Amino acid sequence: MIVELSVALSIGAGLFAVGLYGALSQTNLVMIMMGIELILAAALVNLVAFWRYLHPDVMSGQMFVLIVMTVMAVEMAVGFGIAIARFRSRGSVEMEEARELKG
Amino acid sequence: MTQLTLTLLAPLLAALVIFIGRRMPEIFALIGVVLGLVGAVGQLFGVVDGQTATAVLPFLPDMPILLIATPLTAILSLVVATVATFVVLYAVGYMRHDSQRVRFFGTLLLFVTAMQGLVLSGDWITLLGAWELIGFASYLLIGFWHDRAGVAAAATRAFLYTRSADLGLYVGAFVLIGVAGTSEISVTLTAATGTPALIAGLLLLVAAMGKSAQVPLQDWLQRAMAGPTPVSALLHSATLVAAGAILLIRTAPMLPNGALIAIGIVGGITAVITGLIALAEKDLKRLLAASTSSQYGLMLVAIGAGVPIAALLHLIAHAAIKSSLFLGAGVFQHDRDGTDMDALAGAGRARPGIFAGFALSALALAGIPPLAGFFSKDAVIAAALASPAAAWLVPLTLAATVLTGAYMGRALHVLWAGDVIEKPKPVPFMAAGLGVLVALAAVLAVGFGPLEHLLDVELPTAGFLAPALGLTAALSGLALGWWVEPQRLMGPLYGWAQRGFVLFGGMETVMARPALAIAAACEHLERWLYNLVLGFGRINISLGWLARKIDINGIDGFIFGFVRKTIATGGRARKLQSGFIHREMALAVIGMAVIVAVLLAAPLYS
Repeated sequence: MIVELSVALSIGAGLFAVGLYGALSQTNLVMIMMGIELILAAALVNLVAFWRYLHPDVMSGQMFVLIVMTVMAVEMAVGFGIAIARFRSRGSVEMEEARELKG
Repeated sequence: MTQLTLTLLAPLLAALVIFIGRRMPEIFALIGVVLGLVGAVGQLFGVVDGQTATAVLPFLPDMPILLIATPLTAILSLVVATVATFVVLYAVGYMRHDSQRVRFFGTLLLFVTAMQGLVLSGDWITLLGAWELIGFASYLLIGFWHDRAGVAAAATRAFLYTRSADLGLYVGAFVLIGVAGTSEISVTLTAATGTPALIAGLLLLVAAMGKSAQVPLQDWLQRAMAGPTPVSALLHSATLVAAGAILLIRTAPMLPNGALIAIGIVGGITAVITGLIALAEKDLKRLLAASTSSQYGLMLVAIGAGVPIAALLHLIAHAAIKSSLFLGAGVFQHDRDGTDMDALAGAGRARPGIFAGFALSALALAGIPPLAGFFSKDAVIAAALASPAAAWLVPLTLAATVLTGAYMGRALHVLWAGDVIEKPKPVPFMAAGLGVLVALAAVLAVGFGPLEHLLDVELPTAGFLAPALGLTAALSGLALGWWVEPQRLMGPLYGWAQRGFVLFGGMETVMARPALAIAAACEHLERWLYNLVLGFGRINISLGWLARKIDINGIDGFIFGFVRKTIATGGRARKLQSGFIHREMALAVIGMAVIVAVLLAAPLYS
């Protein structure tokens, strides 16, 4: 069982690493958000793995995962909304050019 | 009762009407004084019938105005009313071209009211009030032409001289009230005896000396000539100056011997000294003023000799004589625009009618029979002869009589001997007032017998001695005055007399310097107090300034410094926000790495 848990955690860590690399290396807003999605997915994998192998009888872990997934969906909607608005007004979603949003 | 009220209130109401209405002041003034005269005549008839009338007019609570008509007060009131009537008649002509007639006649009638109040008052409080009003009204009248040089100073001088002597009246009256326990004059006169009476008598003498211009307080009267001539006539004959003598005549029954002798000596000395001043005087009106002091000195001699009735007779005769003399002088003044003797030379010859009246009055004043002055002066000399202090009083009285003749003779000589330089216009109103008063001065003596009968007194008679002495003195005086220059007549005294017999530097040294020293000391104290208060103010201002400094530099500085630091901190924090998403993400990763490192290192340090 411990072996299975560490396999799941390794997959999570791999996802996290890929997501982190994506978020840091890309300049396109859409690509950065995809990286962040991957990081969040890694966290969810870890969460599910811990629930499944350490406390399978407590349902609140499962509930927590479902809520985090909902929040992810909402966050993506907002993020892509901003990206579309930016693209419409400026014709680009390069983050290096978006410094003026700092005000 | 009615007559008393009428006598007092008619002039007062006329004055009010004049001041409020400001129209036709002459008409109302004449109505007022004539009604007053009617009242005075009426009350005299009342006392002839033997009844003493009293009137109580409501005034302050518990302090009504008590008027009383005894034979004495009724006669005095009649004198005042008569002179006032004819002076007003004269003033209608004299003030015809003056733009301030309303003020003049209003004040004049106020003056007459005050004098009637003084004469008729039956109560010390009323008398004091009337006395003050007289001083005030005379101040206003002497200073009537206040825009002319020196007039205001003359008015102030008159006011201050009489006012400071008034202190004697106040203290004297309150001594009498304190002894008697009531302020009714008739009661106080019988209640006071011994030392209180002596003290009160001497204090009243001081008051009378101030008002009647007796030595050494004679100086103000000559300067009071700055006022209009009708004012001088009224002032000198029956009102202001008479107030002092009237006060002494009214209080004579209570005066003890010591006070009487003092009064007699003061009067005699005044009569001689002011006679000398009059003889040396170069101005006609100032001569008449000095002569007034001299004649009132003679009245004080009569009072001091214990015969107040002789003083009363002389007061009445003098009232008519002196008012007519002033009115005559006023006519000459109008002709020649001045009263200097040199300017007036010959003015009399230009107006024979006026001069005849003036001369008649002058002879009456000198004491030539059968004019009024002869009989009254005769009574004074007889009183002096009969007095216990005759050795003092008789020489002084006779010297004063000679001097009277001399200065009147000199005045007549100056007015007659000179060139006629103008063709005078007739002056009907002035001539009318003058004529009546001169007639009174001439024939007043026929009234003296009934007067003595009315007052129920016997004058002392000295056989032929008194009239003989008086007539000799008067004639020799007149002759000296007509023919001998005053410089030769008086010798070394001339210059001194011209300066008004200034003793020890005169009033300026005796009164003015101490007064000025006190004033300077007061000013010093005042300045010190002022600086003290100012110092307190300065200290307070410094404290306020300090508080302000603390507020600005301390509290405000602290708060603003805090605000500035907060803003600077915000600025620094702002620099962290670069706007580069990658940099911020990298920072987040670095932070996460640090956390992971710390967590991984936990077994090493826990």
